Amino acid sequence: MKAEYINSFYAAAKDVFKLMLDLDVERGDIQLVEGLASSKDANILLGVTGELSGNIYFSFTKPMTLEMVKIMAGMEMDEIDVFVSSALGEVANIIGGNAITNLSNYNYKCDITPPQIIVGQYKSMSMTNKQAIVIPMKTQIGEFNISIFLP
Amino acid sequence: MMWRENYRVGVDIIDEQHMELFNNLGEFIKLVQNKTLDWNDRLEKAKETLEFLQDYVVYHFDEEEKLQEKINYPGLDSHREAHRKFKEGIKEYVHIFMEGGFTEDKMQEFSAKLMTWLIMHVGKMDQEIGRYVREKGVEI
Repeated sequence: MKAEYINSFYAAAKDVFKLMLDLDVERGDIQLVEGLASSKDANILLGVTGELSGNIYFSFTKPMTLEMVKIMAGMEMDEIDVFVSSALGEVANIIGGNAITNLSNYNYKCDITPPQIIVGQYKSMSMTNKQAIVIPMKTQIGEFNISIFLP
Repeated sequence: MMWRENYRVGVDIIDEQHMELFNNLGEFIKLVQNKTLDWNDRLEKAKETLEFLQDYVVYHFDEEEKLQEKINYPGLDSHREAHRKFKEGIKEYVHIFMEGGFTEDKMQEFSAKLMTWLIMHVGKMDQEIGRYVREKGVEI
């Protein structure tokens, strides 16, 4: 298990959630899964290129997604529309960008590709790397997962 | 209300301009998200607010950079670069609107991105200015 991946993404999620949403994030127990096991209502796929090549997959429930965007926009959100999904995509993108910066401290030089937003539970997706490290994250407004598909 | 206390930098002039930005962006989002009205009935006002926001972002960034110069802020170059990228991001959308029209979906997408960029910029980079001013006891 690559501790540097876990540390990089956990630290990035913690920082970005604190900064953008004023929320603390706690890490749950790491899981190793084959394929995609953690799809929820709103999902963001990021590509990783460079020294490491693969994908990062963020999964959020609908209530948590709506609450996150409500905190940022200061108004109620009642559906995962383009506004909500774009905001969520950017949050994931910022977490991914920060994680890539953290990874560079472990001498991995990588880039991320623009977020792809997938609303609704996704059944089949082919990833470059079949095995994923799933980091469950707990916050006051719900739980989400970051699945790391990297070699 | 979009503004939150943890966005406060601690330099009055910057905070006032940030509040103005957040308030106007909040109004823009409210308008774009008000689905009880037809998009065509919201479009003109949305375009107007968008134009104001675009101009105000440029004005605010210029003012902030002038202030950083005045106080010999060591992070000026990287801050200026972040402002440039931010403005570039807005320009890209202006281009998208010009090419493809001011559609409701694109306006939703743009307002969401602007919101996250602004929160991230004010919440992270701008806080460094406040820290510098406090630590060095800089007079504004």
